[in-house]
Amino acid sequence: MAGMSEVSRLVRASASGSEAAWNELVRRYSPLVMAVTRGYRLTAADAQDVSQTVWLRLVEHMAGLREPEALPGWLVTTTQRECGRQIRQGRRVQPVDPGADTCLQQCVAADPDADILRAELRQALREGLRELPARDQRLLRLRAADPPKSYLQISQLTGMPLGSIGPTLRRSLDRLRETCAMRAYLAAVPAASGGEGGDQHEFARVD
Amino acid sequence: MSSPEWTDDELLRELRAALQESTVEESVIQAAQAAFTWRTVDTELELLSLAAGAALTEGGRAEEDTLTKDTLAEGALVRGGGQSAPRTLVFHGERLSVEVEIDEAGIVGQLMPPRPGVVTLVTAAGPQATAQADEVGCFTFPPPRSGPLRLDCRLGADHFITDWVTV
Repeated sequence: MAGMSEVSRLVRASASGSEAAWNELVRRYSPLVMAVTRGYRLTAADAQDVSQTVWLRLVEHMAGLREPEALPGWLVTTTQRECGRQIRQGRRVQPVDPGADTCLQQCVAADPDADILRAELRQALREGLRELPARDQRLLRLRAADPPKSYLQISQLTGMPLGSIGPTLRRSLDRLRETCAMRAYLAAVPAASGGEGGDQHEFARVD
Repeated sequence: MSSPEWTDDELLRELRAALQESTVEESVIQAAQAAFTWRTVDTELELLSLAAGAALTEGGRAEEDTLTKDTLAEGALVRGGGQSAPRTLVFHGERLSVEVEIDEAGIVGQLMPPRPGVVTLVTAAGPQATAQADEVGCFTFPPPRSGPLRLDCRLGADHFITDWVTV
């Protein structure tokens, strides 16, 4: 746990002029920004405009970011604000077929806080996965594929004995839970988000 | 640290979703990466910030710093309306503020406190148009194309630039 985290390193390097670090930062965190825009039903073009604005703004604010660790939260808040502004213009939103569209229901009924927590959790999982040894990453990616690879397929692909895949997978998941990214996510999640809220809150729960 | 009670299956399911959404269109990535060319090292340049101050909504009320459920609900109502209301944005700095109203007719803005100056409308592609702010600090621009924009304001020897905002 000692030393600077990967996100801090990338933010600091970008702020001092490393374009390579910036490009990597964008590649890693764009999924988070785009995941937040999806909750607002913007057109694809508007979502892209929002994304570009958020990154343009980060270019100027990253030197002043007191805690680079807080980057995911900064990105989420800035994206939310820009999406909110887009929506208040009242135009250029995706047309909706109210009869058939389950997404409308989701959009109106979903708890936006839970959606944001989920977007941040997914970002933490992607970052956490990068922290793991290559062997863990490979096993988890195979099992998290869509559709998931069976133990038999995993055994064939990796040469691992069939009987050891289950226990190894469990240890890999435990290591994922203990990564810096996942710990940072859990530390940042407000305790108030706990409680039973059905499926939406399932992953926002903390003890 | 407390540990959440995610089962292995729940964690794997969420990891699957996380990896699926990790694909972002290359054009989006490239546009974001290109933002780096806007990195300013000019310390004389004063940034006028939208986030630090209040941004006025079309109703004239101060927008809260974070998006609340109420504003989201308001957005949901507006979505059905389909008409465009002018947006008022205020950029704040220590020595200068810029108030801007944007609608289909274009951009009308004022430098506060009122002063003459030269205002340049800048998009991610570069400077687009320049307007003279008159004696009371008022300036206008034709309707901008949608996308990120900012205003560059030169008042004599003073140089200010606003945050980026999506229009």
